[in-house]
Formats: sequence, C-alpha cells, structure tokens
Amino acid sequence: MKVKPKLKKGIVKVKAMAKNEMITYNQAEKKFGDREKADFITHLTGTVNGETVIDISTSQFLSKNPIFKFEFKGDNFKKGDKLLMNWVSRLGKTGKGKGKIK
Amino acid sequence: MERRKFLSLTLGALALAVVPASVRAEDFRKLKPTVWTAHTVDDAIKNMYGTTDAIDEGVKLTTPDVAANGGAIPVKFSTKIDAKTIAVFQDANPEAAVCVYAINKYSVNNYDIKIKMAKSGTITVIVEGKDGKLYRAKKTLEVALGGCEG
Repeated sequence: MKVKPKLKKGIVKVKAMAKNEMITYNQAEKKFGDREKADFITHLTGTVNGETVIDISTSQFLSKNPIFKFEFKGDNFKKGDKLLMNWVSRLGKTGKGKGKIK
Repeated sequence: MERRKFLSLTLGALALAVVPASVRAEDFRKLKPTVWTAHTVDDAIKNMYGTTDAIDEGVKLTTPDVAANGGAIPVKFSTKIDAKTIAVFQDANPEAAVCVYAINKYSVNNYDIKIKMAKSGTITVIVEGKDGKLYRAKKTLEVALGGCEG
C-alpha cells in the first residue's frame, strides 16, 4: 500500500491507500454465486518505531482501494522515521506499506 | 550507571520484541463480532457500546449533501473529545457498521475516509469518550448512484 506521512507543526498528517477490491457479501453473491467469497480489509494498523499510531477495524463498506487520511502527534517522531502499515482481509490476505515521514 | 542503563535498554528492547504491534492492536471484529452483523444502526451501536444514549455535540461530521457516486463517498469527521474509540455507521447498506477506530495516545482525531452506500441514507459517527459517555453526529445525504451494486 502507499503511505505518505508528512510532519508539520508537531502533527504528522498521513494519506494512505490500500489496494483491495473490498468485495461485499452482495457483490460476491452476484459475481461468484457465493456470499462466502466476500473479501475486504477487516483490520488496518500503522506503527512508527514500534508505537501504534493508527488502529482501524473495518467493514465491507469502505470504497474500493480505500484511502485513509489520519493524523497523529509528532512530538516523539522525526522526519525520516518510517510509518509501517499493515492490513489483513476477511479471507486472510495481507498487505503492507511504508512511508518515510517527510 | 552504565551497566544499569545498558540493562534497562536491553529489557526495553526485549519487551518490544516480545509483543509485536499486531498483538497490541485492538481488532473489534474479533472483540465484538455482533457489531458487524447488525442490520440497523441502533443495534450496531448497542452491540458495540451497550447503549444508544448519546449526546449530540462535540463531533464534527462533513459529507457532501448529494453524492454522485455511491461507491466512494468522502466522509470527514473530527472531535476534540478525549476519546477511547470512534465508530462510523450508516443505514443504506445491508449491515450498519463501517469502521471502528481504536484511539491511542498519539491520535489526533481528524479522519477522512471514503465509503460505499447502496442508496440515500444517514451516516452516524459515535465518539466514545474516556468519560464513558457517547457523543454523536449524524448527516443525511442523497446518493445518486448506489455503490454496492444492489
């Protein structure tokens, strides 16, 4: 996934995009004839230097290739530190990405 | 002094290594599975927080009044309340829950996501304060073209 963190005035602003179709139960039924083939991101986390800065549990109703914008306090972090993000989907797919704080 | 410093540093590093971030994270799909299967917003909020009593203040929620594309509706929300969790619900899709944020000590509660809605409906954002109270913001919007393919 793409992760773009930017530090400004003590706050890190992040724009992150995960690549996932976010297939809902209804879409799975229509497409594959099987609701159980629904596959979407269920949990997404982000850490800097081992500290959790974002933690979201999600459902099928986020858009396809969802974009997450969020902010966190930057006092303990500096430019050049890396924000690592991970997600896991309903059927166990995973994705990750990292971005240097600019 | 040197030795003490070395020890504490090593122990700290060990503690971090033993507990990976994924374990410290709170996955509300596992902690509260019924939130995600609830069909109405009220049921989902009740399953999440045990009550639907909420105060209509302190939460800012911005969405377009009319969404041309129900597949990606921008939803912005923020709060200055000292929060524990923030949850987003809507009433246009088969299930109500959209996402739940576990707030940490670094959080600046200003978020922006894109969601899907099958038809026109109301988005509800609930902020669970550290004071144990729920705070709520609602916004009803029109969806021109549904985003869940029926």
